[in-house]
Amino acid sequence: MSVAAAEAPPAAAALPAPRWGRLALTGLVALLCAAPFLLVLVISFGEKVEGGSWTWGLTLANYERFFLGHDWPNALSLVYPQRLWFSVWYAALGAAFALALAFPCAWAITRRSRRTQAAWLAFILASLSLSEVFVVMGWDVLLSRNSGLPAWLKALGVTDMLKDGGWFPLLIEWDLANPRDLKFKTSGFATLLAMTYIVFPYAVILLYPPLSRLDPSLAEAARTMGARPWKVMRTVVLPAVRLPLIGSALLLFVYLLGAYVAVTVFTPPEKQTLTVTIYDAVRGQTLDAPFGAAQSVVLLATAGLCLWAAARAGVRR
Amino acid sequence: MMARAWLAFCALFIAAPIVVVCAAALNGGRSMLFPPQDPTLARFGEFFAGDPVWRTSLEASVVIALGSAALATLAAWPIAYGLWRSGDRWSRALAGLGGLPFILPPIVFGVGLGFLWSFFGALGSMAAGVLSHAALFLALPLATISVGLQAIDRAHLDAAATMGADARATFRTVILPQTIPYTVSGFFFAMVLSFNEFIVMFFVSASGFATVTLQIFNSLRNGFTPTMAVAAILFIAVSGLTFAAIARWGDLPRLMGADPARADD
Amino acid sequence: MGALSLSGVSKSWGAVTAVSDLSLDFPEGQLTALLGPSGCGKTTLLRMIAGLEAPSRGRVLLDGADITDRPAHVRRFGMVFQSFALFPHLSVAENVAYALAIAGMARRDRLAKAEALLALVQLDGYGDRRIGQLSGGQRQRVAIARALAQEPSVFLLDEPMSALDAKLREEMQVELRLLQQKLRVTTIVVTHDQREAMTMADRIVVMNRGEIEQVGPPQEVYDRPATAFVAGFIGKANILHGEARGGAVAAHGALFHPERPAAFRDGSPVTLACRPEAVRLGRAAREGANQLAARVSFVRDVGPTREIFLDAGPATLTAELGAGEREPFSVGEPVFAELPPAALRLFPRAA
Repeated sequence: MSVAAAEAPPAAAALPAPRWGRLALTGLVALLCAAPFLLVLVISFGEKVEGGSWTWGLTLANYERFFLGHDWPNALSLVYPQRLWFSVWYAALGAAFALALAFPCAWAITRRSRRTQAAWLAFILASLSLSEVFVVMGWDVLLSRNSGLPAWLKALGVTDMLKDGGWFPLLIEWDLANPRDLKFKTSGFATLLAMTYIVFPYAVILLYPPLSRLDPSLAEAARTMGARPWKVMRTVVLPAVRLPLIGSALLLFVYLLGAYVAVTVFTPPEKQTLTVTIYDAVRGQTLDAPFGAAQSVVLLATAGLCLWAAARAGVRR
Repeated sequence: MMARAWLAFCALFIAAPIVVVCAAALNGGRSMLFPPQDPTLARFGEFFAGDPVWRTSLEASVVIALGSAALATLAAWPIAYGLWRSGDRWSRALAGLGGLPFILPPIVFGVGLGFLWSFFGALGSMAAGVLSHAALFLALPLATISVGLQAIDRAHLDAAATMGADARATFRTVILPQTIPYTVSGFFFAMVLSFNEFIVMFFVSASGFATVTLQIFNSLRNGFTPTMAVAAILFIAVSGLTFAAIARWGDLPRLMGADPARADD
Repeated sequence: MGALSLSGVSKSWGAVTAVSDLSLDFPEGQLTALLGPSGCGKTTLLRMIAGLEAPSRGRVLLDGADITDRPAHVRRFGMVFQSFALFPHLSVAENVAYALAIAGMARRDRLAKAEALLALVQLDGYGDRRIGQLSGGQRQRVAIARALAQEPSVFLLDEPMSALDAKLREEMQVELRLLQQKLRVTTIVVTHDQREAMTMADRIVVMNRGEIEQVGPPQEVYDRPATAFVAGFIGKANILHGEARGGAVAAHGALFHPERPAAFRDGSPVTLACRPEAVRLGRAAREGANQLAARVSFVRDVGPTREIFLDAGPATLTAELGAGEREPFSVGEPVFAELPPAALRLFPRAA
């Protein structure tokens, strides 16, 4: 009888799907969802034409320029690999911080009543949908020298305390202060803060399903056997959601690889990421679409690798 | 106790920049200060009645958000239905393809769409903007409608059949009504995210039109003005109200993947 | 209208066979219970009758007409599902009127008819409620009313009581039986509960592993089980394995004589069944055969009867004593269990 339930009943037959409708839908999806990525790939092998245009081609020059530099073989330049490294670095840290914040938060939400959960989810989703532009705007005001955190810290005397304590050389090295004051803007810290904020709601939303499906009697059973809450977390909850956790981390990482606004506003120019140079190549000052496409392909390959790893991890489960 | 404290901290973290932006709109002067100086509501008037650049960009944002969400929902229905009903290789491939733009870095999709539309000579057109966002956010109604279809008890379909309903009548009287909340949720998800989306529009709009997010970014380097904060408030309000409505009338925990078996606790 | 028959019906999915080569008649106006353990193919059979599942082989006939290829929505046999499958997006009255709406009846007419049907299942005035506001028993009544709205030629129920608690289940069984007798509609109930089958059915079909074990009126199936499986499944039975010897059965060192000599070849393996309530206990051996020396291992009182569990070497027996014969037997006491000839059922057994 369980066999019967698994089969789709012939009585409730599917609606007739006209062949042309199916083809049109496939065509539309292929054109809008797949063709852009293919175009990026194809154009990355194209050549730049003076005056900001480009032609089709089959050259690896753009990739050579990316990995070895403009002037290869006379000189090796690792500017772009370094940009990629910054992309990966910020994205990895941002994803890690967001997950660390979001995990206990999602856990706490799932322990509440269904109505409270819905309210929290609405709040989280509203902040998730908030434009990167507004997020950056808010943190910009919060971190700005004359009206944000630096001014408050100064008023509270924290700045002077740090100065007296000899912390300033270190803070200056981290871009968090100039010789006179604390300053947070254009620093790796501000970039990471904004990135963490941007993906934090995504992290909660991604962790919510596995945590809410976790059988509460598992944790209760562990507690009756004498495990303290922290031990329950470590020995029961974390192992049970290990794979969704890894999968979420990779998805957040991929999302942050494409962060643009936070980087242009908060990151010191010498530490900016690939997204900025992609924009410059495709639309901005340098105007070299094939090279921009090649950079995009490298970014895409990095993202694809991560998603593939995530899918593998999911399949093995 | 710890959990409550942590939740409160997270709520504060989420709310901090939002509160700051909202408060900044009240500034009397030209600069964004927090706490605001000489509080006034004059910026709201400026936004809606002053410089027409804000009104036209708001119109562009609304048209693109509504148009792309409607298109995405319409396209998502047959894909989700095919996936649920037959689950064959074709439907799976179609669904996978449709979800691609949403999970890959949006900047790459934006670059690709820029190439695509300039190829068709449509770069900077409103239609291109609508289609681009429809493709980007197709994954959202696709996901919610799929959740809705999976939530249908197959016994309901059998019951309808034993009472004389053929495939068409079953679709109209059982499948459609039971999935409407999920369809509406998907539409609103797509709409709100399109409303707020920046990077893809950045590549697709060229200089043909500007949405509010683009407009704000464009004036970003000139320094923020409190009028921009009014736009931010508007957007935050739209997002907040939309998701509050979904939470009120839809099954948000289930949509987000909670265990349906524990729906009654 | 409503005489249904199956001829040579089979259903298999790949190597798994749910129903194999089954032929059966369902007389008009009768209530037939398909009874068997889970996985015996009874639900699959019901779904094939409803048209929800296509048989792999065989024909389904209604009043002599072949309806095998008619899909469920053309057969329109009313069906009550295990989960009731009531539509949560419709009110109670709209649920009941669903089939009428599909058939194109005007809204006013169909709601009037729904109200009448709700009265029939004692739910008058509940039409405007949502399904979520009903209790389990009320939901079941709605499901029954809904299935009857289209005045089906055949009425099907798939484990209709399994979602109800024990007390309500008994009440609903009686109520459903009375309703069926009033309407005289050909009814088929799938159940794994022999009490439920015996309460409601004119006729019981016992199924096991996709095949029919026995068909007959409830009391006949209980009194004269056709196979050892039926004896064990309907009610309780003491089962002993032995071999035939001169018209009797030798098992566990004793000889058991049935009422009439059995027609088994000497030495062939035989299974012997006897209802616990037929077993008689004594402290001393009596004249005659059919007795087994045993020791009391456990005693329990279950309301009107007392059950005595016995150890007889490798075999275990249960004796059920009525209220009138409450002789106190204590655990560990040696006793003699007598299986009266009239109560013995003999079945051939594969060696």
